[in-house]
Amino acid sequence: MNLLKKKDVMYFFLPAAIFMFLFLLYPLLMLVVDSFFQTNNSNAKSFVGLDNYFQAFTSKTFIKVSVNTLIYVVVAVSLELFFGLALAIVFSHQFKGANILRTLCLSPLMIAPLVAGLIWKFMLSDQFGIVNVLLDKSGLISSTNSILWLADERFALISTIIADVWLTTPFMMLMLFAGIQGIPNSLYEAASIEGASRMQIIFKIIIPSIKPVIISALVIRVIDAARSFDIIWAMTQGGPNFSSELLSVHIYKMLQRYGDVGYASSVAVLFIIVLILITLISMKKIWIFDKKSN
Amino acid sequence: MFTNSVGVDWKSKLWKLSVILIALIATVAILFPYVYILLSSFKPAGDVVSTSPTIWPKEFSLDNYIDMWESMPIGKYLANSLVAAVFSTIICVVLGSMASYAISRTIGSKLSYLFLVLVLCLKMLPLTSVAVPVYKIVQNLGLYDMKVTLVVVYAAINMPFVLWMMVSFFSSIPADLDEAAFMDGATPFQTFRKIILPVCAPGIVSTGIFTLLLAWNDFLFALLLTSSNAKTVPVAISEFLTSYNLDLGPMTSAAVLFSLPVIIISFFVQRYFVSGMMAGSVKE
Repeated sequence: MNLLKKKDVMYFFLPAAIFMFLFLLYPLLMLVVDSFFQTNNSNAKSFVGLDNYFQAFTSKTFIKVSVNTLIYVVVAVSLELFFGLALAIVFSHQFKGANILRTLCLSPLMIAPLVAGLIWKFMLSDQFGIVNVLLDKSGLISSTNSILWLADERFALISTIIADVWLTTPFMMLMLFAGIQGIPNSLYEAASIEGASRMQIIFKIIIPSIKPVIISALVIRVIDAARSFDIIWAMTQGGPNFSSELLSVHIYKMLQRYGDVGYASSVAVLFIIVLILITLISMKKIWIFDKKSN
Repeated sequence: MFTNSVGVDWKSKLWKLSVILIALIATVAILFPYVYILLSSFKPAGDVVSTSPTIWPKEFSLDNYIDMWESMPIGKYLANSLVAAVFSTIICVVLGSMASYAISRTIGSKLSYLFLVLVLCLKMLPLTSVAVPVYKIVQNLGLYDMKVTLVVVYAAINMPFVLWMMVSFFSSIPADLDEAAFMDGATPFQTFRKIILPVCAPGIVSTGIFTLLLAWNDFLFALLLTSSNAKTVPVAISEFLTSYNLDLGPMTSAAVLFSLPVIIISFFVQRYFVSGMMAGSVKE
């Protein structure tokens, strides 16, 4: 029985839809239109077809920035999965103080990405940073300025990844922890009767049982990591020499700083297409509304 | 886990010990950056920019807080952040719950499928790409640097997230409840307000907390859409560290003032926080 008529559905949905149309869909349409135009000095627009897209694909910066984004996503999300899974398993054990420690571990979840970026910028600073002092004292580096975390092209991207991992490992941990809570006790009992070791329980029971949770956590994190802006903006603004520039930062800079609307829009459209493809392909995994009520 | 599976022997003691050790190390590592910035904010002004920094302050001082207080109207910015976050969340929760109710009650129909896919795609949009077009729209409407602008824009950009979370809450409520109300002659709106909303209250609260946090922590839109009148704290903090100046001392105190209350409050509402995160992201 369908209780709501089509008219009612529209009334209920319309107010929220107006907001989304004005500040999400309409800007998106503007972006798509702009990607086919070139703005010249006198602010006149001329239609250039797919030229902006060709320009993007032949631009070395675009390739560099795309590769950066890929590295950032793959490295950050893999580290987060590794640490998140390890911590989720650790906190599934019962020991005194486990709840308090777990709660404390969740605290980065509440911190603004911008603030997280600034905290790490402060800690990794080559002049005033504590990280190099600690590394120096423990004998891992020879002097406090032998690694220029934010100013050296080889380290800038890694530095932003460190901040991202710190900020979002708790999210991964929390999701996987909830997944582990859902594993029925009978599985563990059966395994221990069979004489399984703890490592076997982890790899043969826990990980396979929470596979759907792992996949949806990965999809969410991959898309969020690909879109990161605040952390990079706070720490390096993409520098030095594009070494830590991600697509989102690149798009923002080209639009806001250099006013290259056509090129930036075409890059944004390409980026959005990729993200939506990832979303739609993995949708079956994160789709929580399967034929529930018909 | 593992509690009743193995008796106490040497091996299981070792295992347990290493588990506790890992938990302790992880907690210290995760807390370190925040504790360090908290301690640094109480260092004398000169010690924050010392080239040989220590973890523990040599002496406690409020220099950085006084500096920050004198260099910007932090109270005004905190109020702006609060206004933008609270009012946009109210809009999101009110309009979002209505829309989610409609979607959840027609799941299976083409229309609600279309809405859901649309919502999902909008949720995944990289916000930097729409931020600049939004900035142009706001300028054309003459709404630049106004508090109401931030409220409306935050409500709009967080709406897909709100819908995504709330639809999963609403669709877990059996339709029998609605049917009973209809039999008694209630209109759809009455059913929604009197029957469904009270049942979904916990889910709505967790969604609200998340939305509040998203708006409170936003940087990009506040950076683009405000200059002085409606400026929020994240933008103000970011201005301490630019290529032209490096005021690390006041930056640490502003960062603490901005995020410590949120962390403390979140410990008290964690129940909602955790259940919300599960519902919003985990497939049942």
